[in-house]
Amino acid sequence: MTKKASSEAHFIAPDAYPQLMSSRAAAQAMKVLRSAETEVKAQVAMEAHVPPMRAAILQYVDELEHAAGDMLMVFEKVHEIRGFAETAGLITTGRIADILCRYMDDMYRIKKPLDTMIVTLHVSAIARAARAEDDDLKMGEVVAGELAALVAQRLADASR
Amino acid sequence: MSGAGFETLKALIVEDNAHMRSLLRALLNSIGIKEIAEAAHGQAAIDALRDRKADLVLSDMAMKPMDGLEFTRHVRNHEHSPNPFVPIIMITGHTEKHRVEQARDAGVTEFLAKPITAHNLFSRIAEIVERPRAFVRCDSYFGPDRRRRVIDDYAGPWRRKEDFQDMDVR
Repeated sequence: MTKKASSEAHFIAPDAYPQLMSSRAAAQAMKVLRSAETEVKAQVAMEAHVPPMRAAILQYVDELEHAAGDMLMVFEKVHEIRGFAETAGLITTGRIADILCRYMDDMYRIKKPLDTMIVTLHVSAIARAARAEDDDLKMGEVVAGELAALVAQRLADASR
Repeated sequence: MSGAGFETLKALIVEDNAHMRSLLRALLNSIGIKEIAEAAHGQAAIDALRDRKADLVLSDMAMKPMDGLEFTRHVRNHEHSPNPFVPIIMITGHTEKHRVEQARDAGVTEFLAKPITAHNLFSRIAEIVERPRAFVRCDSYFGPDRRRRVIDDYAGPWRRKEDFQDMDVR
């Protein structure tokens, strides 16, 4: 069923194009998605990927440190780290990366120059947190909190 | 439990990080999807789709030389696209508002912010299975209807009243 809503836009209802599966198969698929067996399998898959993900994070951290001065590269790498860190079990690393991502995103959005000191502090903290495998969370909690407060202040100043 | 609903599906994973591709493959395997192709960037994904159909696509956003946005636009709009209606879940660490809007306007079906969890990925897949979206075709856009929620008892003013004159509203 295709309907014309205005002189320009045509709406194509779900029953008018090929669907992923029949409604019967969809019901079965939803049972699979919500089953305890699937949950266990997925958990095993996630845990099996922690070591390689952690290795990938360390590779990104090396690249992040070598990107000093190239803010575009820092931007790319820190977003990658934010995306991967928690999956690798590096909670604080992800949190600090998230603060830097938000800082860079907001400064680009309001078209203000980045403060290299802020970026350098974060890069250093990310590197330390990622490499402190056994004490990741405790080590970084205070640092992350202080960096978040610093960034919030700088963003408030930049927005005035 | 048999994964009958998913066992016949073919998926395509478009992601430049091999570890993330491996994780996504393992998560799809866990719900019964076995036929999975992989590509490291958008152009490779387009090439892969020429050789093999996909019923479901998981795509990263930031990739080189072709990113996930351009890939999505190609799938939705190219005259030789094998399936312009294929569900595309965009998975990315770039979660700024304008990035989400870019993904929406490129025609992605679902958006998933990294870090991913099995629960979040499965909830996006469930959304596609349970609530398939209407598509919209106009001069400037082809893809899933970008208005996600329709409130049946909404009593306020319509912003685009003409949109509702001749269409089913769920």
